[in-house]
Amino acid sequence: MSQNLAKLAQRIDFDQSSDSEQDGPERESREPWSKPEPEEDEGAVKFQPSLWPWDSVRNNLRGALTEMCVLHDVLSVLKEKKYMALDPVSQDPSVTKTPQVFQLISKKKSLATAAQLLLKGAEKLNKSLAENQEQRRQRDFNSELLRLRSQWKLRKVGDKILGDLSYRSAGSLFPHHGTFEVIKNTDLDLDKKVPDDYCPLSVQIPSDLEGSAYIKVSIQKQSPDIGDLGTVSLFRRQPKAKPASQTWHVKLEAAQNVLLCKEIFAQLSREAVQIKSQIPHIVVKNQIISQPFPGLQLSISLCHSTGEKRSQRASPEKSKPDDHLYVLEHNLHQLIREFHKQTLSSVVMPHPASAPFGHKRLRLAGPMAYDKAEISSLQQSEGLLEKIIKQAKHIFLRSRTARTIDTLASRIEDPQIQAHWSNINDVYESSVKVLITSQGYEQICKSIQLQLNIGVEQIRVVHRDGRVITLSHQEQELQDFLLSQMSQHQVHAVQQLAKVMGWHVLSFSNHVGLGPIESIGNASAITVTSPNGEYTISVRNGPESGCKVLVQFPRSQAKELPKSDVLQDARWTHLRGPYKEVHWSRMEGRNFVYKMELLMAALTPCP
Amino acid sequence: MGVTCVCQVPVAEGKSVQQTVDMLHKKLEQLGAVKQGNFWVDCETYQATGNATGQPTKLLYVMHNSETPLSSMALFEGGPGLTADANFDVLMVKLKSHFQNAKGHKVESRGTRYRYCDFLVKIGTVAMSSSARGISVEVEYCACVIPGDCWNLMKEFMQSFLGSSTPELPAVFTSKAEGLYAPVDCMDTMSQYLELFGKVRKQQVLAGSGVR
Repeated sequence: MSQNLAKLAQRIDFDQSSDSEQDGPERESREPWSKPEPEEDEGAVKFQPSLWPWDSVRNNLRGALTEMCVLHDVLSVLKEKKYMALDPVSQDPSVTKTPQVFQLISKKKSLATAAQLLLKGAEKLNKSLAENQEQRRQRDFNSELLRLRSQWKLRKVGDKILGDLSYRSAGSLFPHHGTFEVIKNTDLDLDKKVPDDYCPLSVQIPSDLEGSAYIKVSIQKQSPDIGDLGTVSLFRRQPKAKPASQTWHVKLEAAQNVLLCKEIFAQLSREAVQIKSQIPHIVVKNQIISQPFPGLQLSISLCHSTGEKRSQRASPEKSKPDDHLYVLEHNLHQLIREFHKQTLSSVVMPHPASAPFGHKRLRLAGPMAYDKAEISSLQQSEGLLEKIIKQAKHIFLRSRTARTIDTLASRIEDPQIQAHWSNINDVYESSVKVLITSQGYEQICKSIQLQLNIGVEQIRVVHRDGRVITLSHQEQELQDFLLSQMSQHQVHAVQQLAKVMGWHVLSFSNHVGLGPIESIGNASAITVTSPNGEYTISVRNGPESGCKVLVQFPRSQAKELPKSDVLQDARWTHLRGPYKEVHWSRMEGRNFVYKMELLMAALTPCP
Repeated sequence: MGVTCVCQVPVAEGKSVQQTVDMLHKKLEQLGAVKQGNFWVDCETYQATGNATGQPTKLLYVMHNSETPLSSMALFEGGPGLTADANFDVLMVKLKSHFQNAKGHKVESRGTRYRYCDFLVKIGTVAMSSSARGISVEVEYCACVIPGDCWNLMKEFMQSFLGSSTPELPAVFTSKAEGLYAPVDCMDTMSQYLELFGKVRKQQVLAGSGVR
């Protein structure tokens, strides 16, 4: 409206030149937009020199002001809606008439094409994802197979992968095949949740190697009834129930352990049957029983549990403490591995085809004409069973010796017994140093020091004074010996004390031939006299009879001596006279040597 | 391994081989010797084939001794000897074409073994094709390996139970290059046994005729 006004106003004001007709169609084409612009151009073209130069500017400004006023009016109408309101122009229905069906169809088509594109893309993505997962699964299986191969020996037979878990390559001669099969476990439904312990590779071990096993070596007092054999409870603990979901390395290791235990037991039972010994070994089911010492029973049993449910029968051994000697079980494993190594050692292999298995030196036996003594020194004569029995004997003897010494030490307080066990032992030999001392007088009375070498069947005692005594395995012998040494110690202690106190030793005997006969060892006796010779103490100590202390007084102090006419001189009364026994148990003092010291001190008069 | 002396004890008058052996056993037991098992020594003869005509066939003797159970000794009479592994017998089987086994000539001596301090006395019955032909006595002094040092002691010891049948110093020791003071070898023992077996084989003809 305003534009029309401005146009009319300008048409009125200016003369139309010939140029304006050419500009007409251009002006009309640019009609929708910038109306003022062609007016401005026209204004610039129609410059007339008679008008003042700011005329066009003034006109333009006036036009802009008009525009602004109109804009302001429109905005105020929009805002206030008081006097005027905007009303949409009603559409002419004939102008926008297109059928709705067509619209629908066109929309549907476009949507369909879009959907198809999206679906194609999604399909492609799905396919690639599935391929990735499949590849990953395959890669997992291959990487697991690589790991398996780095630890175990595998070979391909046909389309199966087999492995070897026996010790044959390490030198074993056990005839078990020990092959396991590797199974691919990749047919897992990936849509479902993958279980935690899923592994794409699983192994199938031979059925007789399933479960877990160990060798139980134990020493018990002999069972009186032979029917009790074979009823040993087999397992000390319930294994955790993990049937087939164990990882392959745990399974393979358990199977190999079962195989090794079987080999150990087979070797032991073969030797038990073949080797002749004084008391034959009994092989019953899965147990080998032998008697290392009379009254004692060593049982070696193979405990193999296959992981199935055991019968709930209460075994009688549940309440007994576990007497499983783990050391010997470990030693059995070590011995069989040593045996394996021997068949493969460089001493044996490589060997000429015609020579039998054995030590390399034995091949020289023929050409060098070795006699039987030399041959037997080269050959290993002891089998696994003999070795383990010797070790068991030694362990038992050592523990019994320790127990004997400990019970003696706790029972007897007066001479104290100390045992210093050596840290360095052999499987067949241990040693202990036994010291018998009196409390408070360790520096003075240290003459009884014994070194006990505990062997397989005997105990060798080396005394400080050089005597070597061999004791048998009987517990009583060692106890009696120690008791006799303790009694000798008391008398030795008096001798040492006398030196310190200044008393003189008149006589000393380790084994007196007088008095009541002791059943354990011999009694010892000593006689010491005071520095001035007035008093004498006589001590006799025996392991059974205890100690007897007598004091000899000078004649002048003895009241019951009759006066005699023969002895007229007074000096004879200074000689020592009768003996009087001391009530030793009523004597003050913590131990024997202390009491003796007090007695000596009491009998030494002050100057 | 010590100095050995092998000798043959003639069968006593009017007694069989077994009885003479028993007599010797008794004498040794009276002396204080301790029985320590059995022993055996055997000798097989192989004839060399394919040598030039005009020369006597060389005989190879393969002997075994229970003292050296893993060895076989092969020797020619008066010639060189060889100590080998027990597989030597298998080798001889393979050399069948060059050395033929004269099966009828196998001689062996079996008996008991006595130990008297450092002495080992072996009294055996020499048998050829399971018929007793004589008695062999081997005395070994284990403490010494030089014959010259201990021959006198051995002779004295042998006199104590063999009496008049005590042998002289075996020729094997004197015929060595170094003489009596060379250390002994198991080959010396075997040569002595071979000599004894040779004597017994020659005697066989006479003994056979004697029986008739």
